[in-house]
Amino acid sequence: MRRPTFLCSGLPAMLLIALTTRAAGGAAPFLQMHCAGCHDGATKAGGLDLTALALELDQPENFSRWVKVHDRLEAGEMPPKDQPRPPVEEANAFATQLRQSLLEADRRRLAAAGRTGLRRLTRAEYENTVRDLFDMPGIALAGELPADGSAHGFDKNCDALDISHVNVTKYLEAADHTLDYAIATRPMPPTVHKRRISLCNAGGFVAHVVLNGDGVLLVDKKIDPEFPPSGEQGHIDEGAHERMGTFERGSSVGLFRHEDESLSPYFIDHVTIYPGLYRVRTSLFAFQWDQGQVLPARGTEAARLSVVQLTGDGRGGQHPSYVLGYFDAPSLESQEHELVTWLNHNELIGFNTASLAPQANYYKKKRAMEFTGPGIACDWLDIEGPLYEVWPPVSHRRLFGDLPLVKFDAAAQAGTRPPLRKQVRQLSGKNRPDPDAGLFTVQSTQPLADADRLLAEFLPNAFRRPVPDEVRADYLAQFAARLQEGDCFETALRYAYRAVLCSPEFLYHVEPAGVLDAPALANRLSYFLWNSLPDARLTQLARSGDIKRPDVLQGEVERLLQDPKSQRFIDDFLGQWLKLRQIAANDPDKKLYPEFNPYLQDSMVAETRAYFRELLEKNLDASYLVRSDFAMLNQKLAAHYGIPGVVGSKIRRVKLPDGCPRGGFLTQAAILKVTANGTTTSPVPRGAFVMDRLLGQPPEPPPSNVAAVEPDVRGTTTIREQLAKHRSETVCASCHAKIDPAGFALESFDVIGGFRTRYRSIGEGLSAERGAIDPAIGIGFKLGPEVDPQGVLPDERTFHDILEFQSLIAAEPRPLLKNLARQLAVYATGREVAFSDREEMDAIIDRTLAEGGGIRTLLHELVQSPLFQSN
Amino acid sequence: MHGRRLFWVVACSLYVGSFGLAADQPPDLPTTKHQVTGLFSKERVPDLEKIVRQLSEIELVRVDFATAEAEFRYDIAKVFPNATPEQIVERLDQMLRNASRHTFGIKPLCATPREELERVEIPVLGLDCKACCLAAYEAIYKLEGVEQATASFKEGLVVAWIHPGKTDVKMLETALKQRNVTLKESARP
Repeated sequence: MRRPTFLCSGLPAMLLIALTTRAAGGAAPFLQMHCAGCHDGATKAGGLDLTALALELDQPENFSRWVKVHDRLEAGEMPPKDQPRPPVEEANAFATQLRQSLLEADRRRLAAAGRTGLRRLTRAEYENTVRDLFDMPGIALAGELPADGSAHGFDKNCDALDISHVNVTKYLEAADHTLDYAIATRPMPPTVHKRRISLCNAGGFVAHVVLNGDGVLLVDKKIDPEFPPSGEQGHIDEGAHERMGTFERGSSVGLFRHEDESLSPYFIDHVTIYPGLYRVRTSLFAFQWDQGQVLPARGTEAARLSVVQLTGDGRGGQHPSYVLGYFDAPSLESQEHELVTWLNHNELIGFNTASLAPQANYYKKKRAMEFTGPGIACDWLDIEGPLYEVWPPVSHRRLFGDLPLVKFDAAAQAGTRPPLRKQVRQLSGKNRPDPDAGLFTVQSTQPLADADRLLAEFLPNAFRRPVPDEVRADYLAQFAARLQEGDCFETALRYAYRAVLCSPEFLYHVEPAGVLDAPALANRLSYFLWNSLPDARLTQLARSGDIKRPDVLQGEVERLLQDPKSQRFIDDFLGQWLKLRQIAANDPDKKLYPEFNPYLQDSMVAETRAYFRELLEKNLDASYLVRSDFAMLNQKLAAHYGIPGVVGSKIRRVKLPDGCPRGGFLTQAAILKVTANGTTTSPVPRGAFVMDRLLGQPPEPPPSNVAAVEPDVRGTTTIREQLAKHRSETVCASCHAKIDPAGFALESFDVIGGFRTRYRSIGEGLSAERGAIDPAIGIGFKLGPEVDPQGVLPDERTFHDILEFQSLIAAEPRPLLKNLARQLAVYATGREVAFSDREEMDAIIDRTLAEGGGIRTLLHELVQSPLFQSN
Repeated sequence: MHGRRLFWVVACSLYVGSFGLAADQPPDLPTTKHQVTGLFSKERVPDLEKIVRQLSEIELVRVDFATAEAEFRYDIAKVFPNATPEQIVERLDQMLRNASRHTFGIKPLCATPREELERVEIPVLGLDCKACCLAAYEAIYKLEGVEQATASFKEGLVVAWIHPGKTDVKMLETALKQRNVTLKESARP
């Protein structure tokens, strides 16, 4: 399906001759004189033999090699400083000549092949598109689709988005699942139930652990007089307690224990039967437990609510599908929290005492009566739903309009097959389905006319552009054929809708070559900032053509950014640009980093997302990418960073004290974690990350015949000492001179982003102080050698610590802005920024800097540019 | 033995009382005495009253905790039409179990005179928790030879009235231990 990216053999012979002649005439002597000494067939420095590198720019690999030659020369990196330099005029002339050749070749390539290849929706785009198309904001589809590839750092790239029979099969399943959810099958909405649930609900895990001393029941913030805490004698027989109604008397459930391998707290009384929106309310407080006494808490604690998917294979329910949020539990003062969330079949609400340290009393002789420490209590959880504003729901109306839902009359419709209904088994829960109302289906008295009308409304929305009559006629013909074969109206039209959802027009971004037309521009903007299809207003602007007007386009960028759906862009873009998707790729070593937990990890990600949002909203300049006077923190992260005065689980803007290196992406815990391996840090991957992701100078991949530097957690040698040896290899030195400095500066931060002056060790070393680590957490690590964060940049500038490094990098915002522009452009357009786009990219940067250099300005300039608006 | 037991059952089933009439039951209805299971402590008497109030056709007239016997008033023809005395006990048992999540039940009155039963006391350790007491009670009350039992961790005592030839204290202790009830070390030599 993809268009070829490069012309492999189609370049006219005359052109080849012209290029090589030019190289031979002007370039060859320059190369021979200044480069071939090292880059000849014998020496082949850096693996490059320029004497054998023909100027055949129609060959992708060849083209990219010449681009590197051009870039090194332009940056003044080549010839090396210790070699004789060519005269400036001569070097400039060669660079100009080479640039011109590269530009001409690249423009010809793009003119022939198109800029962005045909690309399908990513998994996230597909899911969001279906959610918005049918107004089903939480239907889960992405997890069932095959993983997307990645090219140039993003999964939106056409080079990565291939398609196979597996995809097609999964698209069919997803379409059926979507239509099952979307189509109303009853004349009245499901009954709205409001259920109050105790965390200690029968059949859940919590009752068991409370009986054994990992929790207590409380009434009015005191011990429940009818349920003494487990001490030397524990409670016996969980079933007897359930039957006696011990857990149904409205007592608050206080937990000391954190979610772990054998404890997954959740509110199992409600297991969703009807997918839809549900209102969830809960009441929480914190307390200090002291061997049988309830005392004021050490401060505000945080509990996590999540959505858990039960599965029928016996393995479900162990892990949250996704986190709903972290909620404050103040000391001995119940605080209520409310949210509305979508729940799918067999989903329920999970709970965790997020801010507590791992703790268990069940194995202790006196259980809770010998425990002193913090607890989090849940008074109750209310769940109300499903909530519908209209019935039939919007999803159904988008398919069948206002056609009535009537009881299927088999006798009156002899020869017509009734619609099939999928039965979903409820895997647990005390909520029960409504009585069966019978078989209801959509009725039409003029099926062909209604189907044509409904398809005419649905198709342009699904395909995100006007749909020709003949295309609609194809789908109408499919409907008519099924109707002819005996399907009822609903089933026949459902068949056509299923075909729509599996069609190329739905699954692919349809973008004409050249300048984007209005619908394509609206789509590109919408998939950029919402990761989904345009809404009604944007669609209207596309239909009228007004979206092409710069002022309208600018207004739409603002509107889309202010819409909550823009969080999809932030999550998706940062997930790939800054690799936040890999935040859980490794679990930090428990001996070395015992303070790490999921709450800290989620807070890390929340910080990075909130910080990017703040950069956009406040239109801050690119220096903020690496250095800042504020950070986006909650209590957990602030404690991790050693910043006092932040209370509560919500992320908020916090002014940083002087001399604090936090704030910018460079020193955010999430970035520091995704660039470490969970046990040790290395300046190499971190340096490479900074080069590639922040500075836009991706280093060359390491040679295959050089062994990697192995970490030493015994505390005898530092990574710097090991790297010094590694860098003594000539083949390694030149690249590491660029990569390592940023990595050295970031050595001040451990694998979970904590600041350090010494490496942690599990072997030799000094005793470690507890610092901000929870008193309930045992410390087994020691302090090894001192961290040396000094370094020298390739341009000889030196720094002594991370603060000086940040200052050096922040002092030159253009490369930072340019890189961000490139990352955004790749993400937004679905293709790599080409060599011939460089002038346009520079123009975008110039205009942005002229307007103050703000990041939202950059985004506007990008959207207004031909780069964004053409294909 | 069997004949004497049957006599007690029939006699008690035909017992007519003249006290505790409820407003919602016709005054001329007789009361019937049954043995109640689940009455393992005095605190359970109000629980029983609450549960029986949920049964619209049944009235609890009186409870004798010492013997775990209770008098009920109901219209046999209406509530248990065509039922034999044994079936009435079975059905009332089921009603009470359903209403109490199987923490109360009914069984025929004890056919053995109390003086022929052996009272056994087993000192236990545990939490002063009603559900834990239920667990300890349930560990033994269904054992063959156990006629009646109480359990109180507050008092640290499980008491049972047993038929000497059918069970003994060791069997009760074993059953309690299997239910994770801790026996006081001084309970048995």
